[in-house]
Amino acid sequence: MTRRLSDAVCVFRIHLARLRAETGPFLIAGIVFPCVMYMFATAVASPGGNGPAPELRIRFLAGSIVFSLSMTAISWLGYLLLENRFTGRLKLFATLPLASSSYVFGIVAFALVQAVLGTTSLLVVARVFGVEPSVAGVGAAARLAAVILLTVLCVSGISVVIAARARSFSEGSLTTDALGAGLVFVAPVYYSTHALPRALQLAAYVLPTTYAADGVRTLLGGGTAVNRELLALSVMTVVTLGVGFRVMRWQEE
Amino acid sequence: MDLDVSSGEIVSILGPNGAGKTTFLRQLTTELRPTAGSIHVFGVDAVREPHAAKESMGITPQEAGLFDALTVREHLALFGRLKGLRAHQCGPEADRLLDELNLREAASRRVGTLSGGQRRRILIGLALLGRPPLLILDEPTTGLDPASRRDVWGVLRGAVSAGASIVLSTHYMEEAERLSDRIAIVSDGRVVACGSVTELMARIRESYRVTWVDCGGERHVTRWETFADAQASIARRGLSEYSIARASLEDVYFELVGARYPDVEIEEAVAQ
Repeated sequence: MTRRLSDAVCVFRIHLARLRAETGPFLIAGIVFPCVMYMFATAVASPGGNGPAPELRIRFLAGSIVFSLSMTAISWLGYLLLENRFTGRLKLFATLPLASSSYVFGIVAFALVQAVLGTTSLLVVARVFGVEPSVAGVGAAARLAAVILLTVLCVSGISVVIAARARSFSEGSLTTDALGAGLVFVAPVYYSTHALPRALQLAAYVLPTTYAADGVRTLLGGGTAVNRELLALSVMTVVTLGVGFRVMRWQEE
Repeated sequence: MDLDVSSGEIVSILGPNGAGKTTFLRQLTTELRPTAGSIHVFGVDAVREPHAAKESMGITPQEAGLFDALTVREHLALFGRLKGLRAHQCGPEADRLLDELNLREAASRRVGTLSGGQRRRILIGLALLGRPPLLILDEPTTGLDPASRRDVWGVLRGAVSAGASIVLSTHYMEEAERLSDRIAIVSDGRVVACGSVTELMARIRESYRVTWVDCGGERHVTRWETFADAQASIARRGLSEYSIARASLEDVYFELVGARYPDVEIEEAVAQ
């Protein structure tokens, strides 16, 4: 167990070096893009220029945080996993006495660091835009951290599956890009469920971004009742990571 | 494929493209699950316990990528940890390999800025981390200049002196000849011959080759069993300019894999 943990830390450190070298793309994917989406949603919701109501601002902020998490843990992480696989770096790990779970956890830890950076940056930027999130104490902050953790784990599992199964780099990266944005726009993240067509309303029930957005919005709005969201995200995390570990193998048949 | 490798031995796998060299090495390194048969690494069943088998292996795959954002030293130190070295062992081990592989000057440079040859040497260094008792190297010196290739040979010989065994595939006859205790020649997924260079040479009956060019500028090659036979043929033809050579590993290779240089075949036909 200690060895697996230490291996995961090494995999994490190897990938952290990328963040050092590729800060620009990370900033665009994790922070700038979601910030622009916040501004876009705000502008659309207040054509008169007075700005949307506070609860709408919180919804847009929560949506942008989820957008950031989705971009980080699906598009960016998926790209990383695909790059490792199709440039022979994965082979380098496969030659080592390393458990595939250590590799996956190391990579997911890297995505978590990015998620924390992205979320914190968005919360800071939000104040510039006049949004005042009111997290109700330490307990609510811990729940917010739990929602973010589970969201990242859950969507990272999807990235692992895509990266392990893609037949080519372009196929995989197109899929992760489509899902990274698609999971946000198909789910009721920037708008309420009722605004969606009937078919998408049903689909929204099985999308992790629905529960992530609900949870973040409730907690940023001063609420604490996110048990339903935490439960749904936990179940989805077990499913996606479970499948991810199953398809992520060193050995080919 | 049936092959035993003893402790402290270097075995080279030679064979044409598509003969099965890389497939065999990928099975040996547990990357590819064999459809039948067994592989044991120091008593460990590599098919059933790939993780345990990899504990005693250092592997250089034919095509593996490095992390452009990491420096050479960071590669050696971090992958040393992944190979089970303790934190305090990683620095000295990285230093040892930087010196042995002549990478000291590039130690602090990011890998993305290095040449293909330097990157190849880093991959060999990663295999050597922790002095594993078995090294499996798939075309380790491909892309290296002659001087770097000799440096790598020196490092591999050093590893063998320290008790390691090596299985490597190569396309370079000279590498196989100079480095190996035994050479396994592979064709169509089978070991068609395995032995020392001397043993393999003995498989060629007509091991003396006489080459000359006639007045029309055409090149001819004939083969003879003994040196005396070769000399007699030269005398019979009254040749004044010719070359006489012993069969090389390359000749053995082409003899065994059933292919020869097409021009030589034509010239032999003309000569006879």
